[in-house]
Amino acid sequence: MTEPDDLLPEGLEDRLPREAAVLTRAMREALRVLDSHGYDRVRPPLVEFERSLAGRMEGVRAQRMFRFVDPHSLRTLALRSDITPQIGRIAATSMAAAPRPLRLAYAGDTAVIRSDQLDPSRQRLQLGGELIGSDGAAAAGEIALVAIEALEAAGANNILIDLTLPDLVDTLAAKALPLAPDQIDAVRRELDTKDAGGLKAVGGEAYLPLLYAAGPFGEAIEKLAAIDAGGALASRIEGLRAIAARIGNRARITLDPSERHGFEYQSWFGFTLYAEGIRGALGRGGTYTISGSGEVATGFTLYCDRLVDAVGADERARTVYLPLGHDYAVAARLRAEGWRTVAALTGEEDAAALGCTHRLDQGKPVTL
Amino acid sequence: MAQTQLTFAVPKGRILDEALPVMARAGVVPEDAFHDKANRSLTFATGRADMRLIRVRAFDVATFVAHGAAQVGIVGSDVIEEFDYADLYAPVDLDIGHCRLSLAEPKDGAASIDGASHVRVATKYPGLTRRHFEAQGIQAECVKLNGAMEIAPSLGMCGRIVDLVSSGQTLKDNGLVEVAKIMDITARLIVNRAALKTDPRVAALVEAFRADAAAKAA
Repeated sequence: MTEPDDLLPEGLEDRLPREAAVLTRAMREALRVLDSHGYDRVRPPLVEFERSLAGRMEGVRAQRMFRFVDPHSLRTLALRSDITPQIGRIAATSMAAAPRPLRLAYAGDTAVIRSDQLDPSRQRLQLGGELIGSDGAAAAGEIALVAIEALEAAGANNILIDLTLPDLVDTLAAKALPLAPDQIDAVRRELDTKDAGGLKAVGGEAYLPLLYAAGPFGEAIEKLAAIDAGGALASRIEGLRAIAARIGNRARITLDPSERHGFEYQSWFGFTLYAEGIRGALGRGGTYTISGSGEVATGFTLYCDRLVDAVGADERARTVYLPLGHDYAVAARLRAEGWRTVAALTGEEDAAALGCTHRLDQGKPVTL
Repeated sequence: MAQTQLTFAVPKGRILDEALPVMARAGVVPEDAFHDKANRSLTFATGRADMRLIRVRAFDVATFVAHGAAQVGIVGSDVIEEFDYADLYAPVDLDIGHCRLSLAEPKDGAASIDGASHVRVATKYPGLTRRHFEAQGIQAECVKLNGAMEIAPSLGMCGRIVDLVSSGQTLKDNGLVEVAKIMDITARLIVNRAALKTDPRVAALVEAFRADAAAKAA
């Protein structure tokens, strides 16, 4: 029986061999894709000063972090809740002099102090890439494509990418569809829930067509172009078309120009990744500005944990049982050929129960 | 993508009778067993082979849809606002189930329990209530009750209540008066964010309900 003290706190879990294998493979393959596109991996620390974690990006809230006082500096430390601000810090400090565009990749665990009922996990594995020094359509197209390729390599099927314009309301409210400053938040909130009635009620009637300019990219972009007030969105629409052309048929593409959920710090462009058989988003990305240095960047993050339930474990590698007194050289050769070996300690083990598929017999693996 | 079963969540009680004709106009018709009072089943077939109906409590409709366990549902805007789930869209106001969420207190006032900057309120809606008072700079301590909150003030449990009001008769019968309206409520079609993006059938359903609402308004 499990003692209460052996239980884990809510939202934290052990990844046992099957799940750990899926995650290990997913991370390895996604990082390989990033590396092959020229993204160099960096490994920022788990814990930093709270102010540096919270200060690099808009919308990263210190209240969501595990925080404590550093006995050395007596300043507040925090466990990272997101790795992107750390990459921003690296780009703005130790790699400030590195040639641009700077392509960096990362993978690691993050923690939040409180989760919600919909997603109770408090530890989340993030993996992603950031392209620092550019936020144009070419950079956005590259990031979207690399994100799709990495997600595919990690094991997701039938990927859908939903494109959005996170700063749409600000752009339109400035001139084309003017709003009073105190209306902007309300209009955003109603657009977020796609509440047509609520949008009218808060005086955002002019924004109604945006709700209907969502759906498969080809149709939705035409609708958006048709309602483009005074050409305020022309450059953005052109950018979206270029990105969609770059993605081509690598993924299904949808557009939802008013989607803002999960895009707290993105500027003109953002995207969300979905895949068949997985509830909720598998990743997000977009363009943003690094606070402090003011440098622009484009990047994406994948939420690898969500893959665990959807991606089947690899077919179990062939495993051979090595009896007492076996030929060590033969065993080494088999491992080099891709076999897993399980060596006998007493010679009385039940090879099948230990997961073996074969047994070494006279220098050759024989099916059990 | 493979054609999986769509799940449509409807609330027990108040809204359901008004919702059924609206659903029928959008092509969602439950099997006869749905109307059989003796039937204890919670899942029902519909006229569409790829859709089933579940009947759950109003608060749970929002939770099922936000989780993606159901893709579509109908629920009052009170429930949507109370949870404020990020994964819900409420794209269509169905213009049914009208009522309001109001603050009520005993006829003689609530002063005996409440101070100037601190009130105690019994409600089914602690989230909405707290936000309502916060906006006025008042800290609200909520006692979560699941029904019959009208009797709580007279028993000294709290100074005021926040509850749904339609005619106001229940308040009156229990010696309470409505002092402020927090929000007007109508029933909304809600959909799961990811389902709307990834499943064209969900978008088609939203279109059907939207067209019906537009026709009704015209």
